[in-house]
Parts: sequence; C-alpha cells; structure tokens
Amino acid sequence: MTLPSLLLPKNDRLPPRGGETMFTKIRSTLAILLVIAIMLAACSGGTGAPAPEAATSAPADSSQPAEPAATEAPAEAASGGQVRIGWGGSPDTLNPGTAILSEAYILFELVYSSMFDLNLDGTFSLDLAESWDVSDDGLVHTFKLRPDFTWHDGQPVTAKDVVFTYNFYGSHEDFPYMPVYTEYFDSVEAPDDQTVVITLTEPIPNIESQLVFMYILPEHIWAEHDTPEGATAFENEQMIGSGPFKLAEYRQGEFVTLEAVKDHPTSPPKVDGVVFQTFDNQDALVQALTTGQVDMVTELPNTAVPTLRNAENVQLVVGAPLAPEVTDIIPNQVSEENCPPEDGVCSGHPALRDLQVRKALAYATDKQKIIDVALLGLGTPGLTLIPDGLGVWYNDTIKDYPFDIDEANRILDEAGYLDSDGDGVREMPDGTSPLTFRIYWPSDSSTAPRIAELLGESWKQVGIDLQPQALDPDALTSVCCPTFDYDIIIWGWGSDPDPGFLLSVHLTDEIPTGNSETGYSNPEFDKLFAQQATELDPAKRKEIVWQMEQILHDDVAYIIPYYAQATQAFRTDRFTGWITDQPKVALEDPTSLTIITPVGN
Amino acid sequence: MLGSRYVLKKIGWAVLTILFVIVLNFFLFRILPGDPARSGVRDPRLTAQAVEAIRVRFGLDKPIINCFQSLNPVEVGDCFVNPMDTQFFIYARNLLQGELGISYHSNRPVADLLLERLWNTVLLVGMGQILSIIIGIVIGVIAAWKVRTSVDYGALIGGLVAWSLPTFWLGIILLMMGSRHFDLPIGGKITPGATYANAWEQVLDVGRHMILPTLTFTIVFVGEYLLIMRSTMVDVLSEDYVLTAKAKGLNNYQILRNHALRNSMLPMVTIIALNLGFTVAGAIQIEAVFSWPGLGQTIFEAVNRRDYPVLQGAFLIIAVAVVFANLIADLLYSYLDPRVRAA
Repeated sequence: MTLPSLLLPKNDRLPPRGGETMFTKIRSTLAILLVIAIMLAACSGGTGAPAPEAATSAPADSSQPAEPAATEAPAEAASGGQVRIGWGGSPDTLNPGTAILSEAYILFELVYSSMFDLNLDGTFSLDLAESWDVSDDGLVHTFKLRPDFTWHDGQPVTAKDVVFTYNFYGSHEDFPYMPVYTEYFDSVEAPDDQTVVITLTEPIPNIESQLVFMYILPEHIWAEHDTPEGATAFENEQMIGSGPFKLAEYRQGEFVTLEAVKDHPTSPPKVDGVVFQTFDNQDALVQALTTGQVDMVTELPNTAVPTLRNAENVQLVVGAPLAPEVTDIIPNQVSEENCPPEDGVCSGHPALRDLQVRKALAYATDKQKIIDVALLGLGTPGLTLIPDGLGVWYNDTIKDYPFDIDEANRILDEAGYLDSDGDGVREMPDGTSPLTFRIYWPSDSSTAPRIAELLGESWKQVGIDLQPQALDPDALTSVCCPTFDYDIIIWGWGSDPDPGFLLSVHLTDEIPTGNSETGYSNPEFDKLFAQQATELDPAKRKEIVWQMEQILHDDVAYIIPYYAQATQAFRTDRFTGWITDQPKVALEDPTSLTIITPVGN
Repeated sequence: MLGSRYVLKKIGWAVLTILFVIVLNFFLFRILPGDPARSGVRDPRLTAQAVEAIRVRFGLDKPIINCFQSLNPVEVGDCFVNPMDTQFFIYARNLLQGELGISYHSNRPVADLLLERLWNTVLLVGMGQILSIIIGIVIGVIAAWKVRTSVDYGALIGGLVAWSLPTFWLGIILLMMGSRHFDLPIGGKITPGATYANAWEQVLDVGRHMILPTLTFTIVFVGEYLLIMRSTMVDVLSEDYVLTAKAKGLNNYQILRNHALRNSMLPMVTIIALNLGFTVAGAIQIEAVFSWPGLGQTIFEAVNRRDYPVLQGAFLIIAVAVVFANLIADLLYSYLDPRVRAA
C-alpha cells in the first residue's frame, strides 16, 4: 500500500486519453443543443440558475416543491454503495512498469496484489503469500502462495505469474523504478504452482520493502507485451489484477471507477465500488466535500482545515502520511577534495563547511514558528532525516538543538565569526567575506518561501544575511548537485518505507552522482551504511540506523524543520469504519476501503 | 475572377503561416531549460540506465538538428550527420505522415489524447462564445439605440463590470453558489461512475456539468462584445445614411437590420475571429476551476512536464485554429465590405 516515490510531483494532473467514440460525440452534440435550450430558457426566465433544476427534477412529487437539496439527477441515483473520493491528481498511466505518479500507485494497491502489504503502523504483512521462509544465509526466500487468489478475469493466480512478473520488471531497463527492486535478484523460480523461490546475489535486510511495490501481473495478458517497445507502450487499460477491487472505467484526467470484488479471498470489500474523481482546483475539492458531492478527499490545503473542523457531517483526519515526505534545509558542505571533477562548480560559502556555523544555524532555527506559519500548525518538529512516519526507524532519542539565539551567537563568537565592520553581518574569522548566503527553493513549493522568510528573520539575529530566490525545479537541480553552485537550498525527499534510501544520500560515493545535495562526507557514516545494508537482524540493523541518524544530527548535515502531516477528511453521513487511529493516515488505502460500510446498513 | 484570386492569396498565406509555426514549435520548446527525461521527478532511483533508456525510446539522444546537439545549453555537434537522424527532421517527417508522436508523460499517442480534449474545449468554449456573442450583440444594439438613457448606462456599467471580473474569482463564486444552492456538479464533464438508462440522460448529465463553466465564460466574455458592439453601433447610427433611412420613413427594425447592423459588424467579426482562434487554447482558468478536461488544462500540464510532443501537437492545433479563424474573417470582410477585396 504505498507510493514509492521521492518527491513525487504532488497534485499532478494529466494529459487526457484518446479514443472517444463517434457515439459520444453525437451525444455531446445533443448536449450542446440541450444546454443552449436550457440557457435560453434560463435567460428568458430572469435568473440563470433555477431552470436546470426544473429540467432534472421536474416529476410528480408536488408535495415538497421547494426543497432543491433533495432533488437528485437521475445520473447520480446509482451511487448508494459507491465511495466517491475526490483527489487533486490523476494517474499518469495504468502500467505499473512505467507509472511514476502517486495516484497510479494508489490504484495499484487496490487492484493488484503483491507479496506483502504495508500496514499503517509501518510493518509488513503477507498478502498473496501465506508463508515465507528464509534460508540461514539469507539468500534463498521461499514463498508459498495462497491457493485461492484469482485474476479478475477468472483465471487462477499461480507461481508462474509471479516468476513472470519479477523477470518482467527486472528486464526492462527503461522502467523508472522496478529494475531497482530486482537489483539483488539472482533467480526467481517456480518449482510448482504455489511456490516461488527467490535467490539473491547477496543477503539484504529489507526484501519486504522491495517486493511490496512489485505488483503481480497476469502472465496470460502481459506475456505478449514483454518486448522492449511493447512493455512501455502497453497502456493496460483493462488492468486485470487480483486485488479487492477491479477496474470498471478509466478516464484519464477525469475519473477512475473501481468495482468491488465481493468474493475476494482475504479482503472482500463491503462497499460496491470506489470512484476517484479529479478536481483541478483545491477550493473546488473542499466544496465538493462540504456539499456532499464526494465522500472523502485524499488531500486538503492546510487553509481549509479550520473551516472543515466545524463543517457539518465532515470528519477531519490528521496524521503521518503513508509515504512521508521530509523537508530539509540543505547547507552546501562539499569540500574541495570532494568537489566532483566533471560537473562541480562548488561555489558554496566556506563558512558552511564549518560545523560550528551549521550548529549555530540549527540553534537559530525556530521550528515551531515555521510549523505555525508555513503549515498552519499541521506538522511536528523535525529531528532527523528519517521521519517519524517511518515507525521503528525513527530515532526519537536524539536531543534536538533548541531554538536559542543567544547560544547561536555564543557559538559564532567563539568560533571567531565576528561582525568587524558593524554592519550587522558577521564576517569570516579572517575578516574576509561576510556571512551572506544565497538561499534557493523550488518555485512550485508554497511553503518554502515562508520558511525562507522566517529563516531570514531569525538568522539575521545571529548576524547572518540571506539572499532568497525561488528557482524553477529544473534550474534548481542544475545548481544543486552535483554542481554544488549554491549556499543553502530548501527542498525535500519523499520516503520509502525502508530507511536505506534516505540514508544513502549522505554517502561520500553519492557526491558525484548528484544524489547527495549536501556534499556531506564522513567515513564512519559510510562504514555504518555498508554494515546496515547487510545486517539481517532487524534489531541490530535498527541500532546501526539510529547511530547513523545521530551522526548526521551531530554533524548538522541537514536542518529538518518539520515533518508535515497529511490531512484527509471524510463525510460521516455516508460510510463508517474509516481507519483513523493508526500512526499513518491513508483513507484511500485498501485497509480502509475494504472495511467501511454504508451508513445505516 | 477577382474574388477567387483574393481567396487563393489568403489561403496561400494561411498555409505559409502554419508551416512557419510548425518549425517554430519545434525550436521554441527546445530552447527552454529542462530535461524531459527527468522533468518532474527528482528521483535518484531513476538509474542512469533508466534515464538513458527513456532518452533512446523518445529519440532524445539524437542531435536536435545538423550542427547542434542541443539548444539549451547550446552544444555544437556534427554538421554532417544524416538529417533523417536528427530530431527536427524526424519530427517533420512524422508530421507529414500525420504522426504527432507519443506523450513522454503518459506514453499515449498525442493525437488521441489531444482530440478528446479539443472536443471538450470546443464544446465548452463554443457554447460560451455563442451565448456571449448573441447576448453581447443584442444588448449592444439596444444600448446604442437607446444611447444616453438609463438603459444605455446600465448596459455600459454592467458590461464594464463583467469585463473586468477576475475569471478565477467569478468561477469560484459561481461554483460555491451553484453547488450549494442549486445542487449543480462541482467539476468534471460527466458524473463519474454513473450509469445511464438512455442517451438523453447522459446529455442531461453533461448539460448539468456545463451550466456553471458556461455561465462563467459567458459573463466574462459578454462585456467585451457588448461594449464593442455598442460603440460601433453608436458611430454608425450617427451616419447620414441612417438619417436618410429615417427620413424615408423606414421603421426601426428595418433601419437597424438593413443599414446599421451590417456596417457595424466589421469590428465584431475581427474580434470574434481572434477570440475563436485563441479560445481553442481553452479558457485555462475556467477549465481549472471546474476541472473541465479541456485543452488548456493539458497545455498547462505539458509545459510543466516538458512534454514536447503534446506541446507541439497542441500548439499546432491552436495555430491552425487561429489561422483558420482569421482566414474566415478575411473572407467574411470581403462579403461584408466589398471594398476590402480591392485592397
């Protein structure tokens, strides 16, 4: 149940789909004529609005003529057990190999099965498999499949489908994510119809988080598309899976309708189906919820939260997002010897390479104020780059640098950064260049400009001057890494359920690749990373990961201002049973959608 | 015949313009910064191989055109490569064969994808244009006829207010009122997941979805038509031949229809032609407020994603629409005002 991606473009909207039939066109032409008629009628009647009302709800019931809210268009009559969900995006494609946007992964979670499910507390449980054995050396993983799973077209799900799927994902290099998940696969075999044996090239501790996104595909449909061009060109518009919902209708950029698989062996939904409708405008999305045109919304602007708290029949849910995002304040720390020879510009301010300066910046950052202003209170103070939404991997024992301007000033004084010319800005200990930092952020972020402004205010009090500038995300990438042509950037990462990836961005080896935005380098950290990558004992691995987080915090590789919370809301008068008491909030997840029931049933 | 030479000349210019746009379209987007293979996703798990494979799939590894490997940053390349191995000539050849390419973002054929969106936009914009033109002309004529009366001032003020309303704001206000008080749908073109007993029900459903966006469109555009119609009409009505017509004892309707209206249509035709062309691009703001799946929305998204094939296709459609609308306007002029033909 999750979205893999790092910095998935949120709210992404999509180009349309083709294939409109002549029939629709004829009907739409009729619609023009109709609307002309309606409009003209409305105009002659004085005000524009009531006429259509009459047109759709004219019939007999004269006992209650003046109650417009109760009238319903015939087209909407069928929505009884159907959950209507409003969202701000739309999937880019239904092909799991090529999909990038989180909306696509939300659908995959509902329509497909994979070996594991990700639970709302961050743990994994078996999905398609009923048992899982690991050999002593950690190399051979044997899965027994449940015998009762079937594809939505009626064929049984067998081990052959699984083998086909893993080989398929691994063999297409132009799939954006999938080949990475099979990186350590040596072979996948099916000794019989219910058994899958995965042999790895080296033991890895997090096979669950690799397998969870590899949605099992039906070989009888996909085999013919297993060609270099075919695999990416296949649009998968039927999307035959084995999950609790099956695809009914897909209109890219408009809506997706799913139908419940009532006889699903493990999680039969109690509702009849789910509709995801795309709203290009957040105000409209909120309005759709308050007027009851949708039953749930997957994301809300923070500004809508106060209104919705008091809205009738609406319950707001706030918590850690299923795929947490980390916002980070990135100081350029790349040293001269680590400056990438090919791409490096490495124009960062020398003061930022000094741990004392970074510490002072950390002390001078008022995280609570940033949360209150930039997020309207909907966040928790940030600590380390592994967010609290990652459950056990989050090291909550780290002691944060409290907001303390005096301490920050003391550190800078002691380190020799003094304001020798009295202009309010400190200079380097040798009296040269003032501590004036360029600070950049992606122009598509609505929170980053506020963060930059608040940083400018509080850092000014410790004699540090900021030159703020928003950059187009592409331009930001080109100054960021591996060019290191910046002083400070406000940016972020999306996160895997496994901490491995987020930690890897601080490896010395990642400086020339562009993954490391800080240029941070610490041999001890690198050594620990290699250790945790092969540590099979979860408890020991957690110890190492926590230690790594502590090191990053001590070195102030990043300043993490906050962990943003996800806000979702649902109507209480339509369905009950939404899961709201878990650490993570994901009402669109199968965990909720398979257990909710219509109100009054 | 004088008329056909005039027509041929106009058509020739239209074709030339479109050819120019085709070339410009290609280079315009490639001068923009940004890498379409990575745009939108700063995801390091997109391995170097994956990025390279995506480049190869869409032909982005090939030089832009002879002598230039890339245009932003400018990178000089081999001048003696086979032209058919450069992005520009592949684009041109595909276009000649009627191929608009594959969207980088959704891996779908651009032609399919744009056609449906174009149709939705034409439906919405066409409806709004027709209504605002009719209403604008009618009120404009009435205001001019009753010039300097309270009817005129009312129309004038109303027109100015409507013209200056921010589209986005008006849309949101209408959306809130319409959804709250009249139970009108908030977004989209049809009710998702609805099952229709017959085609009429579907028409009704689309009609219901169109009411608010069309109303917004009409209010925003009617002011412009009304004001232009009124001022031209006021001028025309002060002409001597109108006085003559009055003196001949013609009734008001005859004067308006036979003497005033045709003469004041020339500026209207110009403005309508221009608007028709440009509004094919979609009333982006209206489409955004009402989640209307139209062309404007598509273009906006494609720019953000550096989805060149979609942009090229969409701009081509707009260019053709603008050129075509202007051609029609030119031809209409010659019908409305024979003096144009001589020029």
